Amino acid sequence: MYIQDFDYYRPATLKEASKLLAKYGDQAKVLAGGTDLLPKMKNGMLATTILVSLKSISNLSEIEYLQGKGVVIGAKATHNDLVNSSLLQERYPSISEAAHVLANNQVRNMGTVGGNIVNATPSADLPPILIALDAQLTLFGINGQRTVPLENFLIGPNQCAIKKDEILTHIVIPDQPSTGSSYLKFGLRRSGALAIVGVAANVVARGATIEKARIVLSAVAPTTMRAKGAEQLLTGKTVTEPLLEEVGRTAALECRPISDLRSSAEYRRDLVRVFTKRVLRKVLKLEDVQEEGVRDHGPY
Amino acid sequence: MQETYSAIGKSVPKIDGRVKVTGQAKYTADLKFPNMLVGKILTSPHAHAKILNIDTRAAERLPGVKAVITHKDVPDRKYGISPARFDENIFCIDKVRFVGDKVAAVAAMDEETVYQALKLIKVDYEILPAVFDPIEALAEGAPQIHEPYPRNVNTEIHQKFGDVEGAFSKAHHLRTDRFVGQRTYQCPIEPHAAISMWAGDKLTVYASTQSPHYFQYYLAREFDLPMGNVRVIKPFVGGGFGGKLEPTGLEFAGAALARITGRPVKMFYDRHEMFAHNRGRHRQIMEITTGVDREGKILGVHANFIMDGGAYTSLGIASAYYAGALLTLTYDFKNYKFDMLRVYTNLPACGAQRGHGAPQPKYAFESQLNLIAKDLGLDPIEIRLRNARKPNTITPNDFKVNSCELIACLEKARQISGWSEKKGKLPQGRGLGIAVGSFVSGAGYPIYRTNLPHSAALIKVFEDGSAATLYTGAADIGQGSDTILCQMAAEAMGFNYEKMKVVSGDTETSTHDFGAYASRQTLMSGAAVKEAGEMVKKKLLEMAGEMMKVDPTELDCKDGIIFLGNNPIITQMTFAEAAREYFVRNGPLAGRGAYTPPKLGGAFKGAAVGTSPAYSFAVQISEVEVDRETGEVNVKEVWDVHDCGTVINPSLLHAQVHGALYMGMGESVWEEVVFDPDGKILNPNLSDYRLPTALDMPQITSALVDSYESAGPWGVKEVGEGATIPTMGCYANAINDAAGVQISSLPLSYEKVWRALREKEEKP
Amino acid sequence: MDHIEDKDGFKRYLIHLTVNGDPHTLVVKANTILTNVLREQLDLTGTKKGCEMGNCGSCTVLLDGRPIDSCLLLAVEADGCAITTIEGVAQCDELDRLQDSFVNNAAVQCGYCSPGMILSAKALLSKNPNPTEEEVRMAIAGNLCRCTGYVNIVKAVLTAAQSSEIRE
Repeated sequence: MYIQDFDYYRPATLKEASKLLAKYGDQAKVLAGGTDLLPKMKNGMLATTILVSLKSISNLSEIEYLQGKGVVIGAKATHNDLVNSSLLQERYPSISEAAHVLANNQVRNMGTVGGNIVNATPSADLPPILIALDAQLTLFGINGQRTVPLENFLIGPNQCAIKKDEILTHIVIPDQPSTGSSYLKFGLRRSGALAIVGVAANVVARGATIEKARIVLSAVAPTTMRAKGAEQLLTGKTVTEPLLEEVGRTAALECRPISDLRSSAEYRRDLVRVFTKRVLRKVLKLEDVQEEGVRDHGPY
Repeated sequence: MQETYSAIGKSVPKIDGRVKVTGQAKYTADLKFPNMLVGKILTSPHAHAKILNIDTRAAERLPGVKAVITHKDVPDRKYGISPARFDENIFCIDKVRFVGDKVAAVAAMDEETVYQALKLIKVDYEILPAVFDPIEALAEGAPQIHEPYPRNVNTEIHQKFGDVEGAFSKAHHLRTDRFVGQRTYQCPIEPHAAISMWAGDKLTVYASTQSPHYFQYYLAREFDLPMGNVRVIKPFVGGGFGGKLEPTGLEFAGAALARITGRPVKMFYDRHEMFAHNRGRHRQIMEITTGVDREGKILGVHANFIMDGGAYTSLGIASAYYAGALLTLTYDFKNYKFDMLRVYTNLPACGAQRGHGAPQPKYAFESQLNLIAKDLGLDPIEIRLRNARKPNTITPNDFKVNSCELIACLEKARQISGWSEKKGKLPQGRGLGIAVGSFVSGAGYPIYRTNLPHSAALIKVFEDGSAATLYTGAADIGQGSDTILCQMAAEAMGFNYEKMKVVSGDTETSTHDFGAYASRQTLMSGAAVKEAGEMVKKKLLEMAGEMMKVDPTELDCKDGIIFLGNNPIITQMTFAEAAREYFVRNGPLAGRGAYTPPKLGGAFKGAAVGTSPAYSFAVQISEVEVDRETGEVNVKEVWDVHDCGTVINPSLLHAQVHGALYMGMGESVWEEVVFDPDGKILNPNLSDYRLPTALDMPQITSALVDSYESAGPWGVKEVGEGATIPTMGCYANAINDAAGVQISSLPLSYEKVWRALREKEEKP
Repeated sequence: MDHIEDKDGFKRYLIHLTVNGDPHTLVVKANTILTNVLREQLDLTGTKKGCEMGNCGSCTVLLDGRPIDSCLLLAVEADGCAITTIEGVAQCDELDRLQDSFVNNAAVQCGYCSPGMILSAKALLSKNPNPTEEEVRMAIAGNLCRCTGYVNIVKAVLTAAQSSEIRE
């Protein structure tokens, strides 16, 4: 296979990079890990004449905790950087676990969290857990920096609210109370599979009573989406199996899945019901009360 | 039969293991030649269309392009791999018949230029109505794909043995069930590639092939050359599984481009082009009617199948016959009727894929047998024991079965899987399934009609006796034939495997052999090798007899040591000493051998297909867990018990079982080639065509039963395809046991299981 | 990045790669893929092309010690990096214990996936000398094999891990 030739820029600073992006507008694409970009270019799905590489720009790959801010993840951090980060494993293991179910090891060594967000694939695996944890994005452009909640950033299939001259630089997980969070992915094989359905949950609970909940769905709408109806149903309630079933059904009704070569909309909808319940049980450390003989999914 | 062998029966490391793990092994696309050009084929974007005009001028003008060819520049002789149906052209002449059909080709200085040139070729098409389903293709008024074949019937089979209607009328229980098998693709990890070059009138082609001989034969035929002027060389091959048995367009187009440019031309397919070329497993619609007596003994079977053949024949005729032919092997019944229609459609052609037409029918038959067992309240193993074939019997379609240890396999599988302890006692959502299979050890008749031996072998001992070279046309495509044939050569000569060299897969320097398909090489190539080795040994012992002043019939040779039968320690000479002296006195010490199977099979139409000197038998049991909420199928453990005769290399044998089972597994649950409404493949990639990964595998136990096959050298039979055959039925039966649902079409996908479970819940 | 432009307007870039310890200076275009540089310009054909889309792993190389799909890396992006291909695994004539283990455990059939498989396993063992079976499977899940069912491959990796333990 081959890629049509293009002009390649490797700016040394963010400023230079955004100037190039501003100059070339729609002709240019940002290159980080390339694991989404290169297959699309080889497939002929993307014909770009200019690539602006982030390779030489430093300070975009670190994962650190900043007092007063929270956990700051550089957009160039690879998925395996997230998997192996002791900081994340300590504070937000659900992010490490979510990164671990993506693609395969080789792709995880190159693909970046920033790329996973900006590519805005409806079935992307990181946005759900990040939105559940109220992630805030830092964007750098010619007019300076701005911060945007990830929740408002994904606006359509492969479309996000990034301006032409902007680069996503950091993802901030603000300090927050959390009883637990997790992301469950259902794919058609155990590696190298897109999510057919993914459900992330982040709850604040006192015992079995939910004070706050975020439930975020992947692969069942034009973008990653919050199941707000399901969240509301849960808030302030004490969790029982019948309530979980109702929450699952509500989430299933809220989502807008499509049928494609991988599965039908009907199947996806029912999987949302099932996995909403399972992720909540997991996060609240409840036993699988109803289903015997059902495998414990763990992070996958 | 327990015998102590010195070279066979040992798990020696592969002779090519080292070069493969160091990256030194060269596969076709790794090769480089001076002045070499790169070439690719332009394919059709339409499923069915007339070619009105092809304008290659813009492509020809692109700097770096050396030649652009269409049907005008190549022989128009129709070809194929099945002589009964030569229906392909190197490039389509009047119309294209599937998305991916061959239209033109380009040779240029580098890859990028080739890709760009392909885009510049302008083809004017008149789109024709297309048909993508075999039943629709048979209907009145359907688009006709090949003129000579009305109603798009490519192959029609009607075979009748015994009295099936009579058997059905006497049956205590009669069932008719319908199953559908899906289209899958071999998907070897190495893409097809070929490098062609001419020297005067002589054509040399390096190709990723399973059979240098068939490639040579068909290239010679197409270009009107004597076979001696065509040399086909097989470098290392990254898997074939049936898809590399016939020349693709790459060899023909490459040869034409190489002739025109006067330079070597390397041609290759990208992964999505491999999918489009296909020649994989047919989609089959299978209706089976079986009648049994009160005890569950099968009285008669009627198999009524339709195959979606795609746009060309490929190896499809054989697959069509095999689909029905092999159903008589595992169970002993006298009355059998087989009807088959292989139908043309405007989809990529289907050919032969591991198991050659037999796995899906076995899925159907084994699933139905399970349903019958359930209806009669019989244990699935018990009903199989009652019907299992015994050794030295003949099937109703005239296949002579010598060794057959199916019953022993069933007993052993029952024991090692813990069937009796587990069946019916597993936790909710878990189940056990069983299926059996059988396969040929080489086809009784070659692909084209000829009286040539099927295999030949030469062995030359090195002048000082420190090594020996085996020359064999057998094709090692990863299964390890180079290794086991060297073991066999060493055993036959009384020499050491470690000192063997091999020259194989080159029509000029090795010997005639039909190549790797129908699991033939261990038995057939092995028989030729054994004969050659025994000839060497005989000459050697005669020489040693002279040197030791001893009667040669009292001598024997093992592990490179010649000894007197009754005095092995004292009276000794080395193989090397005797070999060297032989060379000094007589010239090269060499042996030759050849193998032709005995005349096999009956006299009815299609009797040849399914004949074989020997048949392997296998039983598979799987334990499966079904997630009742999602339908997810989790295969926990699989036990495979094989009857494959004497084992030449245990570790390689079990490795083949693992691999064959793996392919059956993929096709059971995960794999399917799917199309859009215009006949274009939706998933021609390794992301949406889901090969199981290392994380998807169950625990696998591969076991054997003692067996000896009189028709095979040292008692061998096949194993390469036998473990693919039971798998789909095995999993279907396990899912039925685990979740109480019968999935009647492949793949047994999670969504299908989910749907079946939901439907079951809704029933009162 | 510095480049030269030819008369047709095609830009070429100079890159520096260390491959198996050898320094190389190479001329590439922006659209040149690392796999092609290794196979065509450096004649290191051990790295294979299987799908060119990052799904099969037969193009796996180690980039600064980490397994990646070289088919997804532009040569210009590999500038300044240290790459290990299968040709760099054996030391002189002595096979690495993993290579030995693959041969001795019948983990190689057609061999096409073996280079990528071995590099993925090598990277795992250098970080995790005593992996569980699950960890081995996770490490090679991005390397597809059509021949072995992964059975002997997993066995070979675990055996290699144990053998080094015994030595120590």
